[in-house]
Amino acid sequence: MQAYNSNDLYNQIIRQEASDAFRNNYLSEESYKKILLSKPCNLYTPNYFIRIALGLVTIIAVLFTAVLLGLLFASSGGSAQVVTLCFFLGVACYASLELIIKNKKYYNAGVDNILMSSVIIFFLSAFFVNDITINYILISAISMAIALYLCVRFTDAFMAIVCYLSFVLFVFFLYQKLGPIAKTTLPFLMMILSVGIYVIMQRLQKKDRLVTYNFCLKSVMLLTLVTFYASCNYFVVKELSNQMLNPRLLIKDDLPLGWLFWIFTFSIPFIYIFYGIKRKDLLFIRTGLVLIAAAIFTIRYYHHVFSAEISMLIAGSVLIIVSYLLIQYLKEPRKGYTSIEMNPPGKNLLNIEALIIARTLGTSSKTQDNSLFGGGSGGGGGATGNF
Amino acid sequence: MDKRIFEKLLIAELINEEEFKKIQLQENEPVSVHWDLRSLLYLGIVLLTTALGILVYKNINTIGHDVILIAIAVLCAACFWYSFKNAHGYSNKKIASSNAFYDYILLLGCLLLLTFIGYLQFEYEVFGNRWGIAIFVPMILLFSAAYYFDHLGVLNLAIVNLAAWVGISITPLNVIRENDFSNERLIYSGIVLGVFLAAMAFLSVYKNIKAHFSFTYKNFGCHILLIALLAAMFYFENYYLLWFLPLCIVSFLFFKNAIKENSFYFLVITILYAYIALSYVFIRLIFTENSGENSFYLAIVYFIFSGIGLIWLFIHYNKIIKQHAGI
Repeated sequence: MQAYNSNDLYNQIIRQEASDAFRNNYLSEESYKKILLSKPCNLYTPNYFIRIALGLVTIIAVLFTAVLLGLLFASSGGSAQVVTLCFFLGVACYASLELIIKNKKYYNAGVDNILMSSVIIFFLSAFFVNDITINYILISAISMAIALYLCVRFTDAFMAIVCYLSFVLFVFFLYQKLGPIAKTTLPFLMMILSVGIYVIMQRLQKKDRLVTYNFCLKSVMLLTLVTFYASCNYFVVKELSNQMLNPRLLIKDDLPLGWLFWIFTFSIPFIYIFYGIKRKDLLFIRTGLVLIAAAIFTIRYYHHVFSAEISMLIAGSVLIIVSYLLIQYLKEPRKGYTSIEMNPPGKNLLNIEALIIARTLGTSSKTQDNSLFGGGSGGGGGATGNF
Repeated sequence: MDKRIFEKLLIAELINEEEFKKIQLQENEPVSVHWDLRSLLYLGIVLLTTALGILVYKNINTIGHDVILIAIAVLCAACFWYSFKNAHGYSNKKIASSNAFYDYILLLGCLLLLTFIGYLQFEYEVFGNRWGIAIFVPMILLFSAAYYFDHLGVLNLAIVNLAAWVGISITPLNVIRENDFSNERLIYSGIVLGVFLAAMAFLSVYKNIKAHFSFTYKNFGCHILLIALLAAMFYFENYYLLWFLPLCIVSFLFFKNAIKENSFYFLVITILYAYIALSYVFIRLIFTENSGENSFYLAIVYFIFSGIGLIWLFIHYNKIIKQHAGI
């Protein structure tokens, strides 16, 4: 099922973990060398910047190929021709993707990511060409199916995200068809759905067989946290039900069960943060922090409690005070947290790592670059860390 | 770190018991929220200063200019007093910052300094009509602060100020959006500025004065110089081939340097700038006055094949740099 050799994928994760462990001084040079030698990985993942550049030029190549074929075969503008062309381009992109991965083993190299996205874009645009009736249920179902297939076959996290989002949309459109009762219970269904998917992802994470999909599962878990909040946020619920139900509500009008959604809007970010602190799960803490901002924007949309600058003044002061106090408080590790930077790997250690990798290079082509910018240190707002 | 993986490595005898224990213990180590808290602090400072700015702006009639100016001056002086108190003194080498707030306070002080001088000039015209001096003075102060306190953020501010002084208003994000490159003098000054910054990048390494500033200089220099040369190509339409030549030379020099220093970043941007120039030349060459539909198809085919060619090029040089970096 997988396009890549499963050993390669697995070894890549091992090498990554070993590198982390080595940089933290948990592994000796010798063990690290042994691991690298016995766990070769033939996947091709170039440097970060090269990946972006490769992605860009792939977009150029795909785009102009589409334009050329469009001019040659579908210039008369008949929708049947355009649909055929879209399908053809989708298949062509998929074929070249398979070919490139089979021969060159590109893995997150920019080229494969763009080709994968093109497959989905071309297939879906075939459905949007037919401008008589756009069947959203069908489109989201197809998008879900394609993304799921691509995600499983190429272990791609972005496709996992696309798949989950299409799934949410699919349920959203389908459930609406069930009538007015369905429309009022929709937020609750979406909440249950998000929780359900989260639990499933958590279960899947524990499966040894799926260790290579860990990043995909994690990405979906992050999204479930967001969709859970979105499905009970006052703004989202109200504006969406405005779209679906008649008569439309004005800004001043109250939503049925509005108080409940207000409670959700404000309590959930804090629940995320407290849960995260308790479970030592930074995913929850960070999501919660961002969602607090969302909650504040929500209330500002409906009630003008303060002017913008006063709200900013209050928020800024609170942030400065809280973060300052926390930084001071956590200078000594307390309750499993510390405000001190985890000792970053010294230059010396990174050089040794580069050396070890170079020596074991005969069997593999994967390296960890220690100089992203070539020895530069970028600094925006007072940052002193090495970028 | 995933314990399951290391368990397997232990069974395969690739790591020993002791190492495995260390990794197991790591789970009990405290979680570092260093960057989370710092980001929140920074966000708080940005929100607070913006809010204060808006408040002052809205209430300027009731507060009065003098009061505001004095308040800014006092705050600015306090920031610099704090910075001087915590500074380690000047050194040609890199200086580690003494505490979490030092960097932020210094940056705040520099921003306030800019506001102060700008306000002074705008309201009281201290420098009269000589706007050049009004920008030159804070620029010198910023460069001094950047070198004395060893602060990259302030250096960025100083370089932007320098560019403003030369006549281009640049900030990293809107180099292209806000500048109208149809002015000859702007193009020439851009080229001079770019060369100057690139030279500074070279000198800071060569003379070993704040060698870690080199990247910032080179980054600005490379972008400004290449954008100015591209603009020259587009602007002097009849001589575009003449301008293509220096652009090739400059990109080649940066490219060579990128290979030498194993910098993926500069490799990518110089190739992309050169590609834009090359595509422009190609399009100009094939679209003559009596060119028909065929040139159009030729252009499309050019983009398809040049795209594939670039993919090959990037992969090739990725390999070369990686081999260098490994040794």
